[in-house]
Amino acid sequence: MEEIKNRVLQVLSDGNLDYRQKKHHLAYIAESTQDYPDILKEATEALNEKIICDLFEGNAPYRPRYVLPDYAYALKNGVNYLELEPPTNFDEAINFLSILYLQVPSITGYSVYLGDIDTLLLDYVGDLSEDKIYKKMKLFWRFIDRTLPDAFVHINIGPEDNVIARVILRIERELKQVVPNLTLKYDPEITSDELLLEASKTVFEVAKPHIANHKMTAADFKGEYGVVSCYNSLPVGGGSHTLIRLNLKKITDLHSGNAESFISGTLKKYCEMTLDVIEARSKYLVECVKYYDTDFLAKEGIISLDNFSAMFGFYGLAECVNQLMKRCGKELCYGKDEEANQLAHLILEEMKKIVDARELPYCKANNGKAFFHAQSGIDIDIEETAGARIPIGSEPDIYSHINTVAPHHHLFNGGISDIFHFDETVKRNPAAILDIIKGAFRKGMRMFTFNLSNGEFIRITGYLVRRSDLKEFREEGSRYGSALFAANSMDNANVDNRVSKRVISNEQVAGKY
Amino acid sequence: MSKLQANISGIIKSSVIDGPGNRMVIFFQECNLNCMYCHNSHTIGLCNLCGTCVDTCPTNSLKIDSENKRIIHNENTCTRCDECIKVCPENSSPFYKQMSVEDVICEILEVKDFISGITVSGGEVMLHAPFLSLLFQEIKSHSDLKHLSILIDSNGNIEQEKWNSLLPLIDGVMLDIKAYSAKTHKQITGYSNEKILKSIEYLNDKNKLKELRFVLTPDYNNDESELREIAKLMKSVSPNVGKTLIKMRNYGIRKEFSFLREASSEEMNFAKNIFVQADIDILVI
Ligand code: SF4
Ligand code: SF4
Repeated sequence: MEEIKNRVLQVLSDGNLDYRQKKHHLAYIAESTQDYPDILKEATEALNEKIICDLFEGNAPYRPRYVLPDYAYALKNGVNYLELEPPTNFDEAINFLSILYLQVPSITGYSVYLGDIDTLLLDYVGDLSEDKIYKKMKLFWRFIDRTLPDAFVHINIGPEDNVIARVILRIERELKQVVPNLTLKYDPEITSDELLLEASKTVFEVAKPHIANHKMTAADFKGEYGVVSCYNSLPVGGGSHTLIRLNLKKITDLHSGNAESFISGTLKKYCEMTLDVIEARSKYLVECVKYYDTDFLAKEGIISLDNFSAMFGFYGLAECVNQLMKRCGKELCYGKDEEANQLAHLILEEMKKIVDARELPYCKANNGKAFFHAQSGIDIDIEETAGARIPIGSEPDIYSHINTVAPHHHLFNGGISDIFHFDETVKRNPAAILDIIKGAFRKGMRMFTFNLSNGEFIRITGYLVRRSDLKEFREEGSRYGSALFAANSMDNANVDNRVSKRVISNEQVAGKY
Repeated sequence: MSKLQANISGIIKSSVIDGPGNRMVIFFQECNLNCMYCHNSHTIGLCNLCGTCVDTCPTNSLKIDSENKRIIHNENTCTRCDECIKVCPENSSPFYKQMSVEDVICEILEVKDFISGITVSGGEVMLHAPFLSLLFQEIKSHSDLKHLSILIDSNGNIEQEKWNSLLPLIDGVMLDIKAYSAKTHKQITGYSNEKILKSIEYLNDKNKLKELRFVLTPDYNNDESELREIAKLMKSVSPNVGKTLIKMRNYGIRKEFSFLREASSEEMNFAKNIFVQADIDILVI
């Protein structure tokens, strides 16, 4: 009790937190007084050692991690709980959504999915001119950034070219906000080159949108899908109870032996353990908390338990592979050497098999299985590279990069993302980016984005920071000392620890108290 | 396929600065001008197997293969110090390779999914017109490659008839004009510019001139009358031809030309204004 009191006091008196952030942390502390859902002792230890990581979901899950409301359904039928009638025009629709967004639960307290916004609003455009739409959307965008200040808040546009998608890209370039994070669903047969070009120009300015292979992703879902949070693809009208990720670097450290015994022994053991944690947390949420029986979103059909599953994630593939190569006496690296790439591929396929073989309760959206997800990492990942990415700084040339990662993108029905880096000169020739995007998708990539070497925004793990914010932070010093400059991912880490910023990635902050 | 070979000094598989879209660029060895500010002077000459570089290489990575009349380069021991290039008395390099049309096609096939087209550059590519003609025909008749656009980056110093067989196969030519007055041109490049001026006119007439570039070299081609002549020339071609004013950079130029200086921002502005006054839509880089 003394310890809890101290933690509470620390939050209450932390001048760097605003009121809402304090409330969020206090809730986290309260939740931590509950026992963790029922798992084996070994799994508890793995969680404590951060071998398995629940990304600060808390001890007692009382809301799903990722909720993707069926906003189209809500707009059509209204929401009783919020006393909202179906909107009849553009202003009403924006107002309706603005209210609903604030009620959608998540781990951070801010909705991770704001809908396929262009499709949702097109029905209400009526005879509004582009200029009128622009003015209204600009206010809406400001509202989103100021009331949902979290870098994981994500909105989608495309694949059709339309006036709203274009207006949004223009507003993005003008406002240069971190929120909302943005994905363009791209299908070469549907999306126009002009829209893709607009999107590319927007990436030059604000490092978004992220580009998703629409055809490939849509094929993995029974109904509509959304790209949310850190590039998770999930079913609309549902989502994911939880995301538990396995640290491949750490389990490689624990393993003594070669790659073969790693795959058949250590990897399998910890994948199963991760799935145990997923199962226990899902059951807790459904059976003990009865979230899906009680929340208005579920009661009114805006989400349904049948559209939910859970997510199995991992990170640190690069470190795992490089270490296993070393053990066989080979200085071969993931991203550089074919043999290492092959091993990486084998590990991913094996994991996918294990995940697909495990029947889980309450995972109907994916036929009783977890979604497989290459997790893009968070600020505390200092030694591990995000998901299945090639470590920052050792990426090969663009074609080798694509040829290395593209062959495994199809495995990740829960989402994966890679980042390509370009020199500033490409700004003069945006058509070049179109060539590369199309080529990458032809090679089977699911999702990716790109960074400009001198862009104002930097995207490292999955969310964005402004370079100017980073600079300010650097000048104020850092607890990582010289390591701060070692890698951009660590830059990100430090920005997020600067909790006094209005826009933060609230996800992990709570874990500090 | 033909046995025809060309000396290729390098291939860049992804370039965003050699024409529209992402392009593969093929650089040919040998040039028929000798510009003072050449940044790739080791692509001007052909190797005569004199052996100077072989003796200079600090890692013994070079060997003369007299039978095949070429230099063998050991990539595993080479440290990329570029000493060999610096000492070569022929403005050449031990690195360029002989490639057949088939070899080049193989390289293009590897990246075909990612590019809008190819650009051939140099050196002076038009010295290899027969090779180019075969290469382009091959591209245009290949089902996986025929959609690629083809651009030529040339100095234009070539007889008019050399263009003829190529023009139907290509999308355009990007061409430099180093100076308008023949005397200045000779100072900068070592050669006169009649053929170049003819090439510009001819390509423009045939609707194949894509870009016309002028490199501002202070103390040589930046006096007002010279600039006005260049402006007149630019004005004489179609408004659809891209026009670019380039600031000469002295990074990477040969030691003996280190006296060349970069234009100040005033000098750049002065030049730019002359083009703007002539109502030319000019890009400055
Ligand atoms: S590359 Fe130059 S220095 Fe070397 S052998 Fe040839 S001509 Fe001589
Ligand atoms: S670049 Fe390579 S081959 Fe040339 S001198 Fe240096 S080490 Fe020798």
